[in-house]
Amino acid sequence: MTVPVVTSQISARQPLSRRSLLRSGLTAGVAGALAPLVSACGGFGTSGGGSGKLVFLSTQFNPIEEGQRFREILTKAGVDTQYVPMDTGPFAARLNAELQAGKPTVNVIGGLYGQLAPFAPGRLEDLSDVAARLSGRGYDREVLDLAKFGTDRTYFIPWMQATFILAASKKALEHLPSGADVNKLTYDQLLAWAKAARSANGKPVFGLPAGPKGLLHRFLEGYLYPSFTGGQITTFRSDDAVRMWEYLRELWSVTVRASTNFEFMQEPLASGQVQIAWDHVARLTEAPTNTPDGFVMVPAPSGPKGRGYMPVVAGLAIPKGAPRQDEAKKLIEALSRPDIQVDVLRKNAFFPAVKASIPADLPPGIRLEAGAVTAQQGASDALLSLAPVGMGARDGELDTVFKNAFTRIVLDGEDIRRTLDRQAKELQRLLDEAKAPCWRPDAAVAGQQCKVA
Amino acid sequence: MTAAGTAAPDRAAAPDAGVDRAPLARRRRNRMLVQVACLAITAFMAAPMYLITLAAFSTRESLNAFPKSFAPADVSTETLRSFLGATGVVPSFLNSLVVGLLTLVLSVAIGTPAGYALARHVFAGRDAYQLFLLFTRALPIVVLSVPLARFFITAGLSDTVLAVALLHTALALPTTVLITASIFTAVPRDLEEAALVFGCTRASAFRQVVAPLALPGIAAASLFTFVLSWNEVLGAAVLTLTNRTLPAQVLGSLQWSPLPYRFAGGFALLVPALIFIFVMRRYLLNMWGTTLR
Repeated sequence: MTVPVVTSQISARQPLSRRSLLRSGLTAGVAGALAPLVSACGGFGTSGGGSGKLVFLSTQFNPIEEGQRFREILTKAGVDTQYVPMDTGPFAARLNAELQAGKPTVNVIGGLYGQLAPFAPGRLEDLSDVAARLSGRGYDREVLDLAKFGTDRTYFIPWMQATFILAASKKALEHLPSGADVNKLTYDQLLAWAKAARSANGKPVFGLPAGPKGLLHRFLEGYLYPSFTGGQITTFRSDDAVRMWEYLRELWSVTVRASTNFEFMQEPLASGQVQIAWDHVARLTEAPTNTPDGFVMVPAPSGPKGRGYMPVVAGLAIPKGAPRQDEAKKLIEALSRPDIQVDVLRKNAFFPAVKASIPADLPPGIRLEAGAVTAQQGASDALLSLAPVGMGARDGELDTVFKNAFTRIVLDGEDIRRTLDRQAKELQRLLDEAKAPCWRPDAAVAGQQCKVA
Repeated sequence: MTAAGTAAPDRAAAPDAGVDRAPLARRRRNRMLVQVACLAITAFMAAPMYLITLAAFSTRESLNAFPKSFAPADVSTETLRSFLGATGVVPSFLNSLVVGLLTLVLSVAIGTPAGYALARHVFAGRDAYQLFLLFTRALPIVVLSVPLARFFITAGLSDTVLAVALLHTALALPTTVLITASIFTAVPRDLEEAALVFGCTRASAFRQVVAPLALPGIAAASLFTFVLSWNEVLGAAVLTLTNRTLPAQVLGSLQWSPLPYRFAGGFALLVPALIFIFVMRRYLLNMWGTTLR
């Protein structure tokens, strides 16, 4: 931008001195800054919309491509909307600031249950009327209960859901232990499989997303703990839990060491560095894109107490006092249409929250996932387990307790019993502060605070 | 003449007869070590840039290959093009540019007089004041973000480029003031006094004598400001919704994006900063030269 100005001045007056160069540079800079200011003080729109459109702030579909695809889907909703994806931190900060200032500009918010919970119920609009109009859509009862936050009103409308499954390269299937059905694995068979695959390859090929932004804590909270102990919080330091951690240590010994760097398992799976992996469905979809026939996706394994699995629920809500609520409700209802929710599945790998028939012509990764997700939910020994409920702002800290236990026991090799006792105290402190009742798979008693046994 | 004539064959015959060559050898070795260190540092800086550029121009298939190759296998601009074509990337680039230049102008306009005052006038509590200036940077923006956003919303400035520029000006001012103060200290007071003797007013002495001498340093300080504004993410992310700067628009999302996008985004963020540094590098040295004196 400054270059043409500089050269023209050089040719006009010689000699080229540092001062003249700087002076022309500064002039051009000032002119450049002022010119667009005069025309538009606000700036250039970056969410594909002008003024007059609804603002839909969300923590989902942050990746550029996903956001782009969701904007396309939004055009079918029939409500003019600009989609603004944001990271969790800025999302909460922005929403807090708007609510405190008493001038919300955001019309609709979308986020995972744990991201909406800090604002509920006091700072979200009551959406019971929308929920009543949508009652015929076939929502999951459990999920609808979540949206009530212990009241009899509904504060968010379930938007979409996801879960975690196992993905494996077909090359790894030949190392399956004899008699094992890959669709009905047990954790012991998974361990034997990972061991056999390691000896065949000369190096480990089982991977876990244990990186800084990986979702390993969900593997502990929603898969290993329920499967081995039948609980998540109450059984945190039980004898079953000790056996579970011993198992995980053994599994880790046949796990790819680079796992502590993995955040999305689709990349190491696609590159072949990892052949068997557990992760969030949306973080596995890309793995089979180039080699659709090279992969299988299967339900998570089962343990002594059942096949623990964790659904991830995202919801739509309206901040308290937001403008244009009628249009916002119309948008929420449109996004709850089965055809739009199937579109989201097709493009962005999040499963419908409403009852919808899953079409056959899905992309390879999503088709594989759909089979595994249905099989996992429908398994006879399925044991549903929720991500922390009612912890409010303490949500992330609870996850940290599980992550710390992993670091200490598995990575640092500390004593299991002692570490669990210490982490259990921390866990109890968080539960005391939040005064939260237990959630599934632990038995929930309304009004009674959850206790680590 | 003759002495030199006889000395030369002497030296050729017996190289170290009577001459201590150790200092020369040491100097040579040191010089070589400096060169090696320079090369190592350059490689340290250049290697990631090279790898980012390489990855940004590769196809998705070659990015997924394992192990990856260090030489360009197949050049493709596909990811980069789809990155630049995504909603909001180009407008946010322009927003970043406007915010950066506005911040630059505002912080120079406010910071330079303050720096001049610090350099030329002795007043009670000057040192404490200089230290105190830095405290504005001691508070992390995470702590400030909610009250800040709330303030801008109440003031009706929320979601504008101007709001972000004001925030960045506030963030940049301490460094601008301190850098310009040291630059003005380096301009001899005698020159200014001489100008006054020869009939300049305080203002014209500043304009005609001090300012030209300090200009390169001020330019370098403003480069600093621009880069700070260009790289700031969190404040910009909280203050804007639909008129975002490039880092606010893409940096938050890049960490969740598939690898090809991270590289394309990294490349897009890297290039403007590199161009800026190349244009200004001479003045950067100038700034360090004066402040270190």
